[in-house]
Order: sequence, then C-alpha cells, then structure tokens
Amino acid sequence: MGKEKYEESSSDEEVNSSSDVVEASSDEEVESSSDEVEASSDDVESSEDESSSDNEKVEESDSSEDEVAPRNTVGDIPLVEWHKDEEHIGYDIKGRKIMKQPRKDKLASFIEGADDPKNWRKIYDEYNDEEIELTKDEIKIIQRVISGRTPHAEVNPYEDYVDWFEYEDKGHPLSNAPEPKRRFIPSKWEQKRVANLVRKIRAGLIKVSDQHKEEEHNVYSLWTDDTDSVENKKHGGYVPAPKPKLPGHEEAYNPPVEYIPTAEEINSYELMYEEDRPKFIPRRYLNYRSVPAYDKGVKESFDRCLDQYLCPRTRKKRINIDPESLKPKLPSRKDLRPYPTTCYLEYRGHMGPVNCISVDPSGQWLASGSTDGTARVWEIETGRCLKIWEVGEVARQICWNPSPDRPILAVVLEYDVLLLNSGMGDIDIQTKMKELLHISEPGATEDAGDSKSAVTWIQHEKHDGIRMKHFKAVLSIEWHFKGDYFTTVVPSGDSKAILLHQLSKKHSETPFRKLGIPVTAVFHPSKKKFFVATKKFVHVYDLSKVEKIQKLETGVREISSISIHPGGENIIVGSKEGKMCWFDLELSTRPYKTLKVHSKDITRVTFHRTYPLFASASDDCTAYVFHSTVYSDLNQNPLIVPLEILRGHKPEHGRGVLDCKYHPRQPWLFTAGADSIIKLYCH
Amino acid sequence: MEPNGSGSDASRQVQVRFVTRLPPPLRVPPASMAVPSHLTRFGLSDIVNLLLKNSDPDHENQPFDFLIDGELVRMQLDEFLIAKGISAEKVLELEYVKAVAPRKQEDPRPHDDWVSAVDGSNSSFILTGCYDTFVRIWKSGDVSECTHVLEGHTGAITSAKFIDIRGVENEQNFHLVTGSKDRLLRLWKCDAAKRRGDPIRVGAYKILAGHTSSVQSVSVNPSREMICSGSWDCSIKLWDVKESEEDGDGNTISLKKRKVNSKTKESEDARLEGAATSTLVGHTQCVSVATWPDPDVLYSASWDHSVRQWDVPSGKETWTMVCGKALNCLDIGGEGSALVAAGGSDPVLRIWDPRKPGSLAPIFQYSSHSSWISACKWHPRSWFHLLSASYDGKVMLWDLRTAWPLAVMESHQDKVLCADWWKDDSVVSGGADSKLCITSGIEIQ
Repeated sequence: MGKEKYEESSSDEEVNSSSDVVEASSDEEVESSSDEVEASSDDVESSEDESSSDNEKVEESDSSEDEVAPRNTVGDIPLVEWHKDEEHIGYDIKGRKIMKQPRKDKLASFIEGADDPKNWRKIYDEYNDEEIELTKDEIKIIQRVISGRTPHAEVNPYEDYVDWFEYEDKGHPLSNAPEPKRRFIPSKWEQKRVANLVRKIRAGLIKVSDQHKEEEHNVYSLWTDDTDSVENKKHGGYVPAPKPKLPGHEEAYNPPVEYIPTAEEINSYELMYEEDRPKFIPRRYLNYRSVPAYDKGVKESFDRCLDQYLCPRTRKKRINIDPESLKPKLPSRKDLRPYPTTCYLEYRGHMGPVNCISVDPSGQWLASGSTDGTARVWEIETGRCLKIWEVGEVARQICWNPSPDRPILAVVLEYDVLLLNSGMGDIDIQTKMKELLHISEPGATEDAGDSKSAVTWIQHEKHDGIRMKHFKAVLSIEWHFKGDYFTTVVPSGDSKAILLHQLSKKHSETPFRKLGIPVTAVFHPSKKKFFVATKKFVHVYDLSKVEKIQKLETGVREISSISIHPGGENIIVGSKEGKMCWFDLELSTRPYKTLKVHSKDITRVTFHRTYPLFASASDDCTAYVFHSTVYSDLNQNPLIVPLEILRGHKPEHGRGVLDCKYHPRQPWLFTAGADSIIKLYCH
Repeated sequence: MEPNGSGSDASRQVQVRFVTRLPPPLRVPPASMAVPSHLTRFGLSDIVNLLLKNSDPDHENQPFDFLIDGELVRMQLDEFLIAKGISAEKVLELEYVKAVAPRKQEDPRPHDDWVSAVDGSNSSFILTGCYDTFVRIWKSGDVSECTHVLEGHTGAITSAKFIDIRGVENEQNFHLVTGSKDRLLRLWKCDAAKRRGDPIRVGAYKILAGHTSSVQSVSVNPSREMICSGSWDCSIKLWDVKESEEDGDGNTISLKKRKVNSKTKESEDARLEGAATSTLVGHTQCVSVATWPDPDVLYSASWDHSVRQWDVPSGKETWTMVCGKALNCLDIGGEGSALVAAGGSDPVLRIWDPRKPGSLAPIFQYSSHSSWISACKWHPRSWFHLLSASYDGKVMLWDLRTAWPLAVMESHQDKVLCADWWKDDSVVSGGADSKLCITSGIEIQ
C-alpha cells in the first residue's frame, strides 16, 4: 500500500510537468480504478524502479502541491463575476493574458462526457480555466479519507516500539524500573505531621486566620511619566529634555498685527539684559518664499552639540529654599501692641545734653539731670518744668526713690551724691521727708575705723537735702526696690568700689572687696540679690550671705549698662560696641541672645516694669523698642521681637540718645538726648 | 454759554432744590434748578447768596453749608453723589445751614503763666485757672478786664468751675470751685460788684481736702449741689457744696482745723475744711476727668485707658469701656446727651455711644490733630458740634456729619491746655503760651 502511495505521488508530479505522462499513466490505471486491491499487486513491480528514482523528491514532497505555482496570478477574486465578459481569465507570471479556453456548449460537452469513460474523474479548475483529471492514487486517497482511514496506506499505526536510549553499559542509566508502590500511597510521616498540626490547631496553639487575605494587586500606572519615581531616582534617573514651547501664531510668516511689536517695544528690548530679551521677535513677510533662512541655525546647533558634549544632562541637586522661610517666625508687630511709636511731647528747657532721666513711681513726674548743672522735675502730662535745682556740676545720674512714700531724688555729681526732697506728696509725707533728710551731727556717721572713709554724709543747706561726699568719682547709683538702701559705684575705688548705703541710718558700707573695675550695680527687683557689672562680666551676689553666686560672661568689649527683668531671672546688658546681650539666669552664664543693633555705643538698656517691653538707647541717635515675653514655663525660651526704631534726636558732639526710661504704668518711653531735649514716645 | 468750549462740563448738571430751616429772610424759592455737578459748597453758597439777593437786594453775602441726607458736603457734588451712591437722576434736596466758622478773633487775655483751666458756662464772665496758682475772672467785653483774682492755692490750678450760672447781670455773687495740683479743692465766693481799677483779691471760704495727690478735674452736678473731683490718687471724690455754702454763709460751724505750719502764713487764712461725702474707687491710674452730666450718672476717664460710668447713689460702676490709650479729656453730650467724646495720649478724638449694646468700638474717630488731645467739649445746645484742643496748638471745631474739621483755630503758639464754649457762639481756650484766646462769632443754630 505504502509503495503505491509513493508511486501515486510521483505520478502526480508528472501530471503537472507534462500532460503526456499524465495521459499515459492515467490510461494505464483506468481498469484497476474500480478494484484497487488486485491492481495494486500488479503495480508493485511495474513502478518499483520509478519509486526508487523518485524517492528524493518524496523526501521534500509533503507540501509539493503548494509549491506548484498556479498559472493565473490574479489572486483570490470572484472570477466568475469579474471575468464573465472578458476574453481572459487573468495573467500569468510574466504578465501575459491567459486567454479563456474556447467554451464548449453544453450539448457538446455532455456528449463528450458520455463518450469519455474517464469523465467521472475530471474536475474543472475554474481559476486556471482548465480541466484536471484526477489520477488513480488521488482517487484512492480521497476514498481513504472519506472512509476515515489514514490517507496513505503505508502508514502503520501499530509499529513496534524502538527504544531511543541505550541502557547497557552506561554509567547512569535512566532507570527502566517500574514506579515503586510507595509513590502511590500517602506518606505515613506526613500523616503524622498533619495529625500533629490538626491537634495543635484544635488545642488553639496555632491560630489560623479565617479571613482570606486579598492578594494585593501590584498596580502600577502604565502610561504616566515615571521619571520622578523613587526607583528611577535611585539609579541616577532618566532626565527628560525640557519640552520646547510649541510654536504659536507669532511664529507664523505673516502673523496677525497684534503680535508684531511696536518700534518702542523693540527699542525697549535693546535695553533689557540678554537673558530677559525675547528669543523670537515676530516679523511679517509678504509671502512664504521671502522668509529668510534662520540666521541662528548654525550657532544653535553648535551650541546644542556643545551642550551635549560638555553638559551631559544630569540632575542638578539644587535646594530651593525660600529665604523668607529661613527667618525665625516672629509674631506680627500689630499683635504686640501697645508699644511706643510716636513722639508727641517734648520736654525743653535744659541748656546742655541731658545725661539722665528718671520717672517717679506714680508716673506723674519726670526728673532729669543735665551737663548744664541743673536737675529738673517735669510734669509728664503737660511737659511743664516744675522744679530746678542748680547743683552746679554735671549731673551724671538721677534716680527717684522707688517707694511712693519717699519722693526723694538721688543725683550723682562728680564726687557727690545729692539726696534731694522733690517736694511731691502731701503734707505728712513732706514732714517725714524733712526729718529723713536731716543729719543732726554732720560727718559723725562715717566709718570710724577707716582712716580715709569712703563716704561722708553732710547736710546740704542750699537744697535742703543730704550731700554724700565720696572720696573718688561716682559713676552710678541705684535704689533698692524698698527705697531704704541704695548703692553707688565708684569705679576707681579699688576695694571700696561698690558702696551700700542705708538712708534711714545714714550709714554706708563696702561689703564687696575684690572686684575689677565696676561699671554699674543694680539690685534684684524682688530677691536679696545684687548684680555688679564690670567691664566684661556681670557678677551676681547673694546679699544675705555676701557671696558670689554666678558670673555671667558677656563676651562684649565693654559693658555700659544693665537692666533686670521685673521677674528677676533675665538680664539685658548693653555694651559700648552697640551689642546687647540677653541672659537667662536659669539657662546659662552665657548670653541666650546677642543682638547687634546699634552702630555706636549703647548708653542705656531698660525694661518696662509692667509691659513686656525693653528698650535700648544709643549714641547713634536712635532708641530701639523690643518686645520680650518671658514665659513662666522654664522650657520655653524668652521671645524677643524688635518692634520699633525711635528717631528724632539730633547728634551733638558725637553723642546721641544718652538715656531712656519707660513710664512705670504706660507703654511710653522717655529718651534724653545730647541735643538737650527729652522726648516722650507714646503708643 | 460758550459756543463750543466745556460743553461736556455744562452738560453734567444735577437737579437740586434748596431747602432750609433758617428764618424767612434767608429762604430761597423752593423751585428746583440745575446746577453744574462739579460745584463745591462754595459754589453752592454763591448760588444761594445770589438767589437771596434777587429777592432781597439788601442781603449780605454769607457762607452756607449744605447737607445731603444729613451729611455735610465737603467735596464736589458729583464726587459726593458717587461716594454716597446717590442717584443723580432725582431732584437732589440740598438743605443749607449757616456755615459754622469763626468770624472774629478777640484780643487774647494775657496771663502770667500757662492757662490750664477755663470755664465758659457763665455768659458774662470767664473763669481761668493758671499755673501761677491764681484763678482769675474775666468780664466779657472788648477790653480785657480781669475783675477778680482768687488766691490761695499753692499748686497749679488744674480745673475751675462755676457752681452757679445764675449771675448774669442781676446776680451779684459767684460761687466757684477750683482744683489744684496742691491736692486741694477750694470753694470761693465773690461779689461781682462793678469796680474800676485793680482786680479784687479774693480768698477761698472753704478748703476741701482729702485727695492724696493732684486734683485733675472738678465737675459740678446738674442740681448744682454736689461736685465731683478726679485725682492722681486714682479715686473720684464727691463733695457736698450746698451744705458748705450754708456753712460759708453762717461762717460759724467749726469743722476740722487744718494742720498749719507755724512758719508759713497759712495761719492767717486758716479756714474751714470739708470732707468728701463719698469716694468712688475703681480706676487703677490717675483719674484725669470726671464729669457729672446727669444727677445719678457720673462719667470718668483715666490714664488706665478706661472710661467708666458710675451710678452715684450706689457708688457702683455700671459701664466700662477700655480704649487702649491714656485719656486726658472726656465730655458727655451730643444726641440725647448720651454720646461720650474723649481724647488722650494720641491725636484721635473718639466718640462712643454707650447705648449701643455689644460694641465698644467708637462710632466716630477724628484724627486731624497731630498731638495729644487736651480738651474736648460738646456744644451746649447742638447735637452735632464739638470742639477739641490739642498739644499741637490747634483748636478744632467738629461736626458729627462730616469727617473733616469745620474750622481750625491756630491762635495759640504753644500747647493748648484747655478749651470751652462760651456764650454758645465763642470758643475760649488757654494754652502754654500764657494766653486766653477768645474766638467768637461762631453761629450754631
């Protein structure tokens, strides 16, 4: 059977190659077509030589039918319809028309078909317009296919198994052993293990969550630009080129008039910086062909090459920080009202620079001392000068007694301190003051032991007060808050530099022996503490034990004045180089904050008694007003906000504002100037 | 009309009708007329004067002020209409009133020192207090004539008030009270008998002692029987003067003998002392003003930034308003005598309405001054007019119906310390230039 098949296929080849052979072979097999079985035995011998010769072709002949190019090349078109009226049915491979075969009429063809015994195996190929006569083998195949067998008789589905592998004498043979039984029965140990787990689960030792966990879908966006993703950044990243602006109407060759810049605009471009100048200036051309070549084309492509060569696109690590955000967040000045802003009142009358001012504790009177040798008392409300003392020397400092029952003024002159009765207060107070400021035995109250006593208390006849004669020049004076004790500083006094005086006993003493050159000394506003400022340090003393508690390092060149916050835990120090230091005694012995505000010497720093304000006055003719909130919570640092610069004084001999003091009850600041005017700044 | 020029201006006209409440000779016909819209009050004033002249050839030109919907016109008409959103289509009713402006500046009355207190409640005399510790009484008239000098205080006078305003012509006696920085109030009586020559020297018949610090202000109650005083000792004291007047008349009942220092001359004028009937405590700082406009209600202003209303019979505070500035002056007046005007340590004159519930914001604020305000006074009869004096040397007249001052009087060369209305049509003011200035001819209907 198989050999027959070979023969058939080879003969099929011949059908296509030459029509004569087809005729011959087909003639041969005409008789045997009805009974294949007998005929096949005959054919075996006859076609044996042929089959051997054709074997090579058979090798490649599985798709031989496909390879035979059809004569017609028109493709899969409805031939009947399209070429119904044509003389040709298509074109061959060379483009020549394939003419239609002369059409036989039906009768003739019927007669022909009736005559021809092979007519039953003829098929009309419409595409090539020819009749094909099926061979005997082809018919056989068709018959086998119809009967459901393999098309070729030689295929044996039950061939013997030929083992591909060799087993004998091989090191690692693929085992041919049958599967052992253990492969098919469940494992005993696994069963034990499962039983164990089940027991544990039942006992509750292993918890199995019933909730079926939804698998998280790994969703990622497919189309978005992931250049900024974390993954991308980690590996250096892909940096997309900046997108160029799309061309608009202005880049047309004949843009609308509104895009054309006017002559002034073009001129204004000339004044701009190169970078700010627009890159493209729209122009109008009558037609497209008069548009000139792009003049910068070569340069730009050269620049582009340079860019690519020299500046590879890498991500620049630039930190964009708004400078505003680096500033400390301070509350708005509006929320910190009231504070002094405007000068409304001036106290005129002094003939020389006003060195010092002091406001009486009730806030009704202002005392001032000047280089013109007078001390004056002013009415704050109206600016009226009420009293003038001709002290004859430069008044360096003036100080009201802080006790409202003792309207006494202490005035520092060169070597003297005058205690004057201000004359304020009612009759009872006045009589008391007269008693207080009276010394029965002049000169007797001094220290008897010292050969050269530091202070001599003398009755001052002219001004009805006390004159305290010091042995060296006095620099400053400060009252204790209760109004009985006060301290004077004699910088050149060595061991007697700081003097403590008691008014009621008219007694003086020098409790602090070893000191540098003191500048100023103040009492703590509520505790028994005492602050002495030398040129660079502030020493804190305990008055009850007379010992040093703290030493504050200011880090400034020369201290000019200090002031204690009414709470007592904060100090401001003003220096001669214009720096101001804020100390928090609880925090550190170093400044909490150093403010460099003035361009010249700070002459005075002062706290307000009730409002959260402090101020500094300087020789640069300004006074600065600051807000300072001191929190009772020790963890919170004080809040310092600069509020206002007060100007108005005129410089005189290189000096500006010589003193500043706050009103005790109003948010008002008094400033004393070298221009011999005292100004009141109100809120 | 010009043939072509300013055609557009001429076309912008407003239909107006002039109405007034002035007496007939000053009334114009009520017909409406078209006026150019760019006119200001001066142009409108010219038109009214022209109309008046048409009806009465003897009419003398005088300035008028114009009110639209109760607001004074202080700009061009069209600007005003736009600013107020008033339609220019309708006939605009312009009410005209006589313009309030000072017409005459009288000779200043010279003093020896700063004039710190003035009272103009008596129509024929002016009372002034001075920093030289004297209180003076000036007679009205063209010649500056000081009739009385009241001496006795040892400190600057801060406040001086007539207790009775009877004495015009027939009444011969003044009854006065003064407060001073020497912590005392003094009551005075003097005879207004006409006399030529030197002023009469008068001494106080009674001293009211009790304040422990400067007395800043004195005020008389409406029944003229009590006075109140505010002081630097943070208290307000009320004093009965009716009784003391009788005492003064009787001059027999001895009260407390004042402590007298033998050295001084006080022994010769040792006199009766009175004590306060009650003390109102509440302010925390200097009480700069206390006024007593109503028999039961007393107002006070203080440097502790508050205005307080006190109920006199109970002595309790009934209303407190904090304004943020130290206050120097206070006056009650205006609509229904209920508005509070106060000025202090800033250049803004503020007016509050205590009847308005829930809000403590001032209803009017006038800020044309450039320094502290030292005095403010409502006009005794008008609801709209008040004056203010300031340390910048200016006295300003205000009308509540406009935000600009009606008139600015710059007669002082230095701080103005006190000011008051006098005879309804004059303003008297004293200042740090030691002068009492009188500006008269201010007609207020």
